[in-house]
Amino acid sequence: MSENLTQLSARKGLEENLFEQIVKAKGDPIRLKDIAKDYKVGEANIYGASTAYDFIQGDNANKKAYVCNGSSCLCAGTQDSVKQQLKRHFQEDEIGHVTCLGRCHENSSFQLAGENFSGDDINNLTEIINQQSDSSESYHVECRLEKPLLTELIEDVDQYYQLINQLAKQFDRSQLLQQVVDSGLRGRGGAGFPTGFKWQSCANEKSQEKYIVCNADEGDPGAFSDRYLLEERPHAVLFGMLVAGYLAGAQWGVLYIRDEYPDSVSLIQAAIEEFESLEILKELNFNFQFKIVRGAGAYICGEETALLRSIEGQRPMVSVRPPFPTVKGLFGKPTILNNVETFAAIHWILENSAGQYANLGNGRSTGSKLLSLDSCFKRPGIYEIAMGETLASVIEQAGGFVKPIKALHIGGPLGGLVPVEKFDQLTVDFESFAEHGFLLGHGSIIGIPESQSIAEYIEHLFEFTEVESCGKCFPCRIGSVRGKEMFAQAIKGENLLDKELVEDLLQTMEQGSLCALGGGVPLPVKNALQYFMPEMQHLFDTKSLQKISVAEV
Amino acid sequence: MSRDDPKDAVDTVAFINGQPYQIESGESILQFATRNQFSIPTLCDDSRLEAFGACRVCSVDVALKADGPTKVMASCHTPISEGMHIQTDSPSIQKLRKNIVELVLTDHPLDCLTCEVNGNCELQDVAADVGIRNVRYKNSANHGHYEKDTSHPYMRSDLSKCINCYRCVRACDEIQGEFVLGIEGRGFASKIIKGGNLSFDESACVSCGACAQTCPTSAISDVFESKSVQAEEKIRTICSYCGVGCNLEVSVKNNEVLSIRAPNDAEVNQGHTCLKGRYAWRFYNHPDRLTSPLIKKNGEFVEASWEEAYSLIESKLTQLKQSYGGDSIAGISSARCTNEENYLMQKLLRAVINTNNIDCCARVCHSPTAYGMQQSFGTGAATNSIKDIEHTGFIMVIGANPTSAHPVTGAKIKQKLMKGLPSIVIDPVRTEVARFATYHLQLRPGTNVALLNMMSYFIIEAGLVDQEFVEQRCEDWNGFKQSILDLDINQLEAITGVEQDLVKQAAIAYAKADRAMSFHGLGVTEHSQGSRTVMNIANLAMMTGNIGRVGVGVNPLRGQNNVQGAADMGCQPHQGAGYLPVDIAENQKKYEVHYGVAMPTTDGLKIPQMFNAAIDGSLKALWVLGEDIAQTDPNQQHVLQALENLDFLIVQEIFMSETAKLADIVLPGSSFLEKSGTFTNGERRIQAVNAAVKPLQGCKTDGQILADMIERMSGKPQSAEPDELLKEISQIVPFFAGVKWDELGQQGKQWPVLDDGLGTDILHTTEFRRGKGKFHYYPWQETQEMLDNSHAFPFILTTSRILEHYNAATMTRRTGNGELVDKDILLINPKDAEQKNINNHDQVKLQSHRGEIEMLAELSEKVKPGVLFTTFHFPELMVNRLTGDVCDTETMCPEYKVVAVDVKRV
Repeated sequence: MSENLTQLSARKGLEENLFEQIVKAKGDPIRLKDIAKDYKVGEANIYGASTAYDFIQGDNANKKAYVCNGSSCLCAGTQDSVKQQLKRHFQEDEIGHVTCLGRCHENSSFQLAGENFSGDDINNLTEIINQQSDSSESYHVECRLEKPLLTELIEDVDQYYQLINQLAKQFDRSQLLQQVVDSGLRGRGGAGFPTGFKWQSCANEKSQEKYIVCNADEGDPGAFSDRYLLEERPHAVLFGMLVAGYLAGAQWGVLYIRDEYPDSVSLIQAAIEEFESLEILKELNFNFQFKIVRGAGAYICGEETALLRSIEGQRPMVSVRPPFPTVKGLFGKPTILNNVETFAAIHWILENSAGQYANLGNGRSTGSKLLSLDSCFKRPGIYEIAMGETLASVIEQAGGFVKPIKALHIGGPLGGLVPVEKFDQLTVDFESFAEHGFLLGHGSIIGIPESQSIAEYIEHLFEFTEVESCGKCFPCRIGSVRGKEMFAQAIKGENLLDKELVEDLLQTMEQGSLCALGGGVPLPVKNALQYFMPEMQHLFDTKSLQKISVAEV
Repeated sequence: MSRDDPKDAVDTVAFINGQPYQIESGESILQFATRNQFSIPTLCDDSRLEAFGACRVCSVDVALKADGPTKVMASCHTPISEGMHIQTDSPSIQKLRKNIVELVLTDHPLDCLTCEVNGNCELQDVAADVGIRNVRYKNSANHGHYEKDTSHPYMRSDLSKCINCYRCVRACDEIQGEFVLGIEGRGFASKIIKGGNLSFDESACVSCGACAQTCPTSAISDVFESKSVQAEEKIRTICSYCGVGCNLEVSVKNNEVLSIRAPNDAEVNQGHTCLKGRYAWRFYNHPDRLTSPLIKKNGEFVEASWEEAYSLIESKLTQLKQSYGGDSIAGISSARCTNEENYLMQKLLRAVINTNNIDCCARVCHSPTAYGMQQSFGTGAATNSIKDIEHTGFIMVIGANPTSAHPVTGAKIKQKLMKGLPSIVIDPVRTEVARFATYHLQLRPGTNVALLNMMSYFIIEAGLVDQEFVEQRCEDWNGFKQSILDLDINQLEAITGVEQDLVKQAAIAYAKADRAMSFHGLGVTEHSQGSRTVMNIANLAMMTGNIGRVGVGVNPLRGQNNVQGAADMGCQPHQGAGYLPVDIAENQKKYEVHYGVAMPTTDGLKIPQMFNAAIDGSLKALWVLGEDIAQTDPNQQHVLQALENLDFLIVQEIFMSETAKLADIVLPGSSFLEKSGTFTNGERRIQAVNAAVKPLQGCKTDGQILADMIERMSGKPQSAEPDELLKEISQIVPFFAGVKWDELGQQGKQWPVLDDGLGTDILHTTEFRRGKGKFHYYPWQETQEMLDNSHAFPFILTTSRILEHYNAATMTRRTGNGELVDKDILLINPKDAEQKNINNHDQVKLQSHRGEIEMLAELSEKVKPGVLFTTFHFPELMVNRLTGDVCDTETMCPEYKVVAVDVKRV
């Protein structure tokens, strides 16, 4: 990150947001030049930022249609056919690719003219192109709790928001903060950092200017639970941000929503307008303004510091920590940055009590969790469960699988590959997954069919990392490419894999990477080496296999 | 080393490889380890830049207790904390580093033997350090196909060698603040770019070379291959361009300069410098160099021996002195020369010729600063140090364009302004620093006094005066205050053309700052009210208590490398070496004791007076050392007339300058690269200049020439060696008392240097040099130039320097800088241009009461309507045909900054 760029961008702040200007310019060199002049930064900064996203300029920008190449669609094997069908209407170069539209429950996902489609939609392509048909998407939402928490229906929006006024009368800020702490709520983006602690840290900072940022850049292929909340429970998200702002003393709530979720953007915008029309805050002597910043296609923006840099109009690159965002975040000011699902839990906690929330769950993993189940399940969709529920019961609840699978990929591309034999041993909470060498992450679950080659899946994961790496740290930037090359060459029969080298690469990325992208991709690869070695053995140089025991990894 | 060097002592320890060491607050593990002599390899770290955490090679094992569980952490961005146990070199860490470097090598050409930086490559060093013997990855994609960029006169890139550490991008941002370099794309495809993916030449690169300096490989370098190891030796010296005083490291082989870099450990410039210091040195052995004494015979120069030249000078000066007295002879010394040379020059005039007719180019630049600050504080030099920029809470820049004229200091100021440090820029031109300032007060040229009086008014009105400081440390406050309160602000608003509300906000912000630092340049001094403006700046500093502490003060940005030193050494007609007034008997006696001769007793002639005396015939001979007065002094016709009227003109030069062409005798001197001595920079820092090469065949150092003449004409021995001369100077100049050549070290010392040898960062800490700080009130006065000429010539022309060229450009034109910028250009506001029917890049004629010139016009919003701006670097143009005779009332510093002109399309 650049302190200079942060501060120069801050001069125009969110009102005339630099990033939005860059997105709007669509890579037009003259406009980029004007923006640079206007914001007193270099053309290199503006052009450089512009080229860091898929959908601003470059080979994959401004396509008429985009085909999803996310892991779930890959495993479902639907996308060759989708592309074939699209080619009947579009030239090859009019079709781009997008990594996960979050339609993993039914696959066959694609985007046309900025709208997302999936499932049977591809069969109605002509109608869709003639604007005679909308997406027919629907998915199963099931709550496994006695009393819905994240899936709770919000019937009276005004009454829903009045909770903040009631609480403000009854409690002071420190008492409310304590509630968040006591709930044991941990960040739902995947890292599981205690939310109350984060909020306190930001609240303790002395600054006239603070920000609340919602990470709605749900980039994990296979995950769509945030999309569910943004589109179906937008007020729960806004309420959580509002409370965070009230407790920390922030003036702005920014929702960074990924470009691939057009409906989330419009539904949240409608919710913001509804919130504003209710004038909830007029009693409170507290001003809080929401703003949506729409992403432009870069997975790394799901990493909190890259996300902040993105809003600032810098290249979305990961920053070193400390300083943490709560001390020096957006525009260099103290910032609370949480995932959608984390914010969405706040209303329930404050309405029902921290104790009730903490009573749900298992040990240090409290409350409920949303799981995104992909099309390998008989009843795919969003499931709300209490932390600690067994994985087996989730599978059972979803009706089992539609086809034979050999593993579940849980927690996104950086999550673990859970083989069938482990299903019975896991409970859905941070600790259980970690103990068994997996990762709960953000709670997406993709089925790996029996027919899917694990080696090819590893190549796919490395390739995903290569494409999405911000390029800052050496282990991720180079290591992801080398990993992909090694597996690709082995699959093609060009060069067999050297176990020691693979292991060295994984260790280098895991220990050396700056963020969870490069640091995380070794996990599923290591799981694969541990549990699926028999099917990959032929790809390895046998001499190297004898040297090192794979099971050790 | 200097008097106050605060160190935060924190009484906590952490452990490295089992041994305890004291922590300093705010340190990273890497800094902590490095400070304690542990070497941790890294590729992306440059201690001058913010920790970045890209390469991960600096990873170490960290445990929170002895034998506790360890975690791998990048040492560059992990803070050290109490009780941490750091393992810098465990087997697993060694393996990690080796594996990372192996990955780097998969995307790096393995052509070390033919690489420019072979032997001086950080990647090579780190690879050797971690013990790489082979690269195991096969058929790896790489970036070997990237083409070299050779578009630029200086800068080079070969991105096939790039390891994506982004040190260049960060240096361009964090050091120079230029944002020319950036990164395109993502991941493995990401690539360093210049501007919007341009070549170096097409980009807005300012050629500071910070990128080349920091690049760990040869991915970014320069045309001189400055990172190669061909040099036999590296000589540390001081730049001879502006008054910042950058330290340079000159690579030399076979008595030839190969390249110049900036040492990272230099307190003044921390490895940074501008394109003049780093790249514009090729003038030193340019074919145009004068290499023989020349004597004019029948209007033609004829080569002569040194003996012939010396004997002619001796006989001519002796004869003139006998016939007309010592005061018929005058000398103009050079701020480009060393302290020792300046000292000898004034000694020659005073102790040998017996006249105080000695002046230097400080006359035409900062004489009002020296005078004004002496009146207010007692010392005519910067009160603080440049490093105080790091500690100040407010910066005010008045009449200075530091990013062009003092680039390294300018970059430091710009860094602060970009980050939002509250700031005021007072300048008629929208300079680079003005772009980033909180308040740009874009006044009409020639109205500084009016504007600063407005500021004083608003500070007093708002009750923001530091009463305690004013009462305890200053005098003449009440009268000053009353005069200020009596001002008609509406009238001043009309005069300056700056809205009073804006001035009020700015003044209040300045007064409210905890620590406010002011910087000023020639936009303050080169005015009819130059000295008074300086005193006005001093007024503001005193009334807000901004004197005598870290991060405050009044800080002139001295224009030339040694203009501070030239005046310190006595190259002024009214003050001898050490600023002792020459008309006081006691001082004369002091000098007589040293020189063993009777001293002249009356003030000598200032430069403009010399010209008048030459025209009226009372001045017969002039000795000019390294100044092109015919090109640079105002009202050129007048100067030429004066020089032509002299009986005898001696010019000591390195090139055939406009002045040298008129000389009777020309002596070939030497450039800074060929001489040793000291320069004193704008923050009073006396630094050692070391000869990198011998004087060119046929040339002598200027000090040697002067010493030779002193010996010849006085019959007494005179050393030209810096150690001997500094010894002599230290006995005469009080604030040089503790200066010894052998003890200057690499960082030099800031004067006053007392007997104990310690320097001084900050002046006037407990009391002013003159006792109490004195308030002076002066009302604004319209300059005579405007009163006389503005009706016929309705535009105001103001002049300044650009980054690429230095003053008369004698040196810079003879380097690659001439390719970068080859002409002076006139800036005109688009509204004026429209009215005058002038299009962008039209040839226009500029006329003043004195003369006219033609040049290219460029439409620019940097100037307000009614104001024109240009530079004065090219003799083809002779901007000084236009400038006039109006001078600063107190010091006769010419008013370059306000010239009434008219402009029309040719």
